[in-house]
Amino acid sequence: MSYSLNEIEVTAKKAARGAGYSWGMAEEAGKAARWLCIQGQEGCATLAGFLGQIDGQDLSDHTPLTLSVEWKAKSTLCPLTSGAALSDCAADLQSGEITLKEVIYPALLMPFAARAAVRLGRVVALECEGARAVTNGAELSLDGVFPTRTTQVVVSLQAEMPAALPRHTRGTPTPEDLATLSKFAHRTYAPATEESRLLGAGAGLSDND
Amino acid sequence: MEAPAQTHIARRDPETVMRLSRLGSFHQCRLSFMRQLTRRLARENWSFSRPVFDIDENGVGRVVYTAQGPEHAYSLVAFAHDLPPEKRSDRVIADAWDATFALFDGVPTKEDVDRLSQNVPLQEAGRVSESELSLSRANRSVRLWKHVVDALASGQQPDLEQIYQVGYLMRTTAVYGSGKFGASDRENIADRPETQAPFQAEMLSVYLTRTFVRDLVQHMANIKGGAKTAELDSNIARWLGIGNSTGLGMAPFLVNHPVLLNNWIIAREEAIARVRSIEFASATEAQHFRDVFERSKLSVSWWTSEHPIQIEKLAKLREDLDKITAYLTQDDLTRDYPWNRMVEWSEDALSEEGQELVASQILEPYADLVDDLGIQMANKNMDVFYIDGSMSVDELRSTLKAQFGWALDKDWTVQEHCARAWYVSEEKLEPRLGERFEEPIEEYEQPLAPARDAARAYAALAGWDGDKRVAEFLLQHPEHRHTVRRVQIRPVAPYGEIQDNTISCDIMPIDMLRCKLSFFGATHFDPRSDRWVRICMYSGAPYPEELSIENADQWVYPELPA
Repeated sequence: MSYSLNEIEVTAKKAARGAGYSWGMAEEAGKAARWLCIQGQEGCATLAGFLGQIDGQDLSDHTPLTLSVEWKAKSTLCPLTSGAALSDCAADLQSGEITLKEVIYPALLMPFAARAAVRLGRVVALECEGARAVTNGAELSLDGVFPTRTTQVVVSLQAEMPAALPRHTRGTPTPEDLATLSKFAHRTYAPATEESRLLGAGAGLSDND
Repeated sequence: MEAPAQTHIARRDPETVMRLSRLGSFHQCRLSFMRQLTRRLARENWSFSRPVFDIDENGVGRVVYTAQGPEHAYSLVAFAHDLPPEKRSDRVIADAWDATFALFDGVPTKEDVDRLSQNVPLQEAGRVSESELSLSRANRSVRLWKHVVDALASGQQPDLEQIYQVGYLMRTTAVYGSGKFGASDRENIADRPETQAPFQAEMLSVYLTRTFVRDLVQHMANIKGGAKTAELDSNIARWLGIGNSTGLGMAPFLVNHPVLLNNWIIAREEAIARVRSIEFASATEAQHFRDVFERSKLSVSWWTSEHPIQIEKLAKLREDLDKITAYLTQDDLTRDYPWNRMVEWSEDALSEEGQELVASQILEPYADLVDDLGIQMANKNMDVFYIDGSMSVDELRSTLKAQFGWALDKDWTVQEHCARAWYVSEEKLEPRLGERFEEPIEEYEQPLAPARDAARAYAALAGWDGDKRVAEFLLQHPEHRHTVRRVQIRPVAPYGEIQDNTISCDIMPIDMLRCKLSFFGATHFDPRSDRWVRICMYSGAPYPEELSIENADQWVYPELPA
């Protein structure tokens, strides 16, 4: 079954929140999953796999300790947190490449590299273990497969945008991946009580007249 | 937004406009999405047809209406149901309705309609596809439906007074667009001329729904009355709008879409500023205003509510109408910046209901000055989602102070300032507003209190070296990321933030609903509690077959047949 990009984004956002990210980071996760689906990548599968791995851990252990030329965390680097920081600090790429050490699910960095590309009006490349993703913001060119964990990702500016993948208008997550995201998303919902049923939505005058 | 050279009177200050009580007093205007739609349909000479009308004697079946424009066709696929009265509810927790609809992108085949017949009647529990642009449902107004069917079936016309008071035969209880439940994303149609302005697909769906309801009530009367049944008089049918019942689901929209909110408000404020900057109005323009004002009095006379707050607001509005009438006897509205003088007068003399009525109505004579702003109400500036992490902590601090100064001084631990919390219930996955200190909801709180969150971010910045970058602050404090984003959006969206406390003990969510619905073009706001409201849409509008350049715009101001 295909899903609208809006559905993908909303589900991914709630899932990230459910897995313990702040609302602002959850918004980033939603946009990231959406962007990956537009590029025909498995945005939901990647996010579901990542959240499954990070769930229950202290997220601050996976946050870059400093934003210099080489980013490391106490533990592995979270691609959402470091991706968002990469987008925030896009201008730093103008003074040289940035290396991210010990990244899990590095494919989740692609949408943030795209963000940096838009902000700089440049082409941005991610390289890890022989695989290479290049983006001008709207499009993605991909060579090789991004692993679920890598010792390092090198982010750099490029002069040329190679031939890009076709863009998509729908997402086609597997039922399993969607179920994983929905399970995390479910944690953001307050259990219904009779009180909330009546008060929360604002019962009032008759609605059948 | 580019201001034309002649605008020397500034737009109203966001601090004035973006208060909840004022947003909750907004009225429709030339820029309303319904009026943008009907003007376009007439200007481009759209044609309308009803290729399928397959309804049985119990009122059950399917109907298709197609609207054909210059490049694209859109079809309302409607399913009529036989709903037991005990199942009829406007609330989002309902699971059956009198009628259900999808707006199909193009002309559906029989297979498309069959597919939709398996899904659309289920609404949220079904799936639609990229071929559908909206999903909606409607319930009858039981009293008026019965009256109209009975009257027509006995060869009589229905009583106009009853129609004026109720305003519609059916009310929609949700109109879902933009990728909901599998439907097409907004991006897929955002570049088409007819769907560039906001909510045009949804407004078209509702416009065609109104035609469906008229046709269905006639069909049911024909079955009941047989040969003696009267044909509904078109001069009466015109006063049948479509109702809408809107709950809390709509309120977070304004907070979650600051750029879109800004674009709506700034378009109207720019229009107001342009008109206020006119030094001389022609006699025709002045008369146009007077005519519209007189006609709007009739519309207000049909506006009733049982809600204490709206009853009071309506009483004030009626006093305001009298004051405006008196003002108009003393001013010929042609010289010395007539519209600006009137707006300035209204700020002292009238309630916010009256002030906003004046602000909307002075735009009426000036299609050439105002209507081009309509297209700018969409959000095309997706880039503002990005955070500029190179901003200094000092700059963030001063920006927070400039934007949320009023909120930083507030003690957010005091119960009355944070009595409420927005959350999403497990049950219907819809936003609700709860009592923070009485219900176990705080850990599920949605980020819909920008002012409180701004104060929290400001407090977290204490002790930070001012030269540090925001990116570093956010690494340590990801919980303030959504606030930093909002703060950075504000320079490009000065009207994007509600400048009020959205979690106070006395928050009225209906103010947020009314703001949004007024931009749709709704009238006759009738709150049913502090958090849901009924409105009327398209009352007075010509039906598709009657639509012309002459009647496509001013229908919102009723004119009684001579």
